Amino acid sequence: MSSFKILEIKKSIFENNDKQADELRQELKGKKTFLLNLMSSPGSGKTTTLKNTILALKDKINIGVMEADIDSAVDAVTISETGVKVIQLHTGGMCHLDASMTKQGLEGLGIENIDLAILENIGNLVCPAEFDTGAVKNAMILSVPEGDDKPLKYPLMFTICDVLLINKIDVMEYFDFDINKCIERAKKLNPNIKIIPISAKFGDGLEEWTNWLYQEVQKWIK
Amino acid sequence: MHELSLLVEVVKIVEDLVVENKIKKLAAIVLQVGELSSVVPMFMEEYFPVVTLDKPFFKDTKLEIEILPGEAKCLNCGEVFNVVKTEGYCPKCNSFEKELLCGREFLIKELVVYDEEGE
Repeated sequence: MSSFKILEIKKSIFENNDKQADELRQELKGKKTFLLNLMSSPGSGKTTTLKNTILALKDKINIGVMEADIDSAVDAVTISETGVKVIQLHTGGMCHLDASMTKQGLEGLGIENIDLAILENIGNLVCPAEFDTGAVKNAMILSVPEGDDKPLKYPLMFTICDVLLINKIDVMEYFDFDINKCIERAKKLNPNIKIIPISAKFGDGLEEWTNWLYQEVQKWIK
Repeated sequence: MHELSLLVEVVKIVEDLVVENKIKKLAAIVLQVGELSSVVPMFMEEYFPVVTLDKPFFKDTKLEIEILPGEAKCLNCGEVFNVVKTEGYCPKCNSFEKELLCGREFLIKELVVYDEEGE
């Protein structure tokens, strides 16, 4: 009869990714590139928001975009119309991006002379929240039709984000969306989260958002 | 949802540990998974044979999963409670303000190794 011995490990699975993410942030600091990780559900208006963000900032700073999708290049095509550098990352079924995939993406994009690199993460409020991509700031979009209860259902996402954009405020009157309740719920999870209500389609709130982003980029790359 | 990629990471880390500790035969990998870690243990168990399909070293290795409870301390009255059972509200004073104590872990707790000297 064989006997066993126990080897105590107590090692977090996320440890390697967290380490790679910290290394990537250091590297980005050295290269003077700011990385924004943009997350949301599918259909929240992420690509429209991104397109208008690029149009507002592209004359002031150099922007590069990584579009992460399980498949297809529809978002990359839309973003390429703005004239900025864009690449499509296919995760091949994976529900999120981790730090090493992000690093590969940045290498593919080429970040020399890029001040602001934006990662449009997979549309999903669960998995991307678990993995540090190495981004300097995390932003998420929650759109009005999704409901004001989302902070209750996906608490981790709201906890790790620096900015929450509440999109599609132009259709608020057609939905039972209580913006004050939503803000209160998000702030409860994350007192430091910056919340900006926007309409990506009509432009409301976009100036506040792009000003914030521009200032954060300047702080990082100076 | 991301059990598969986490499991690939688990196997990678264990492979390094096997080399580091000169392990010849591994009986089991014991994971500790928090109730709030958004990982479904059943999927992990199902995927393990898939992830190790081309790795004969793991042929006789079992994957064991221990669940850690999602516990929090109420910031209003100090009660320690399970947040899954109460949907986040303190059972004593009904406050939602709390500090999470545990439940988000995803750890490799230990490796069970065949002890050659004992054979």
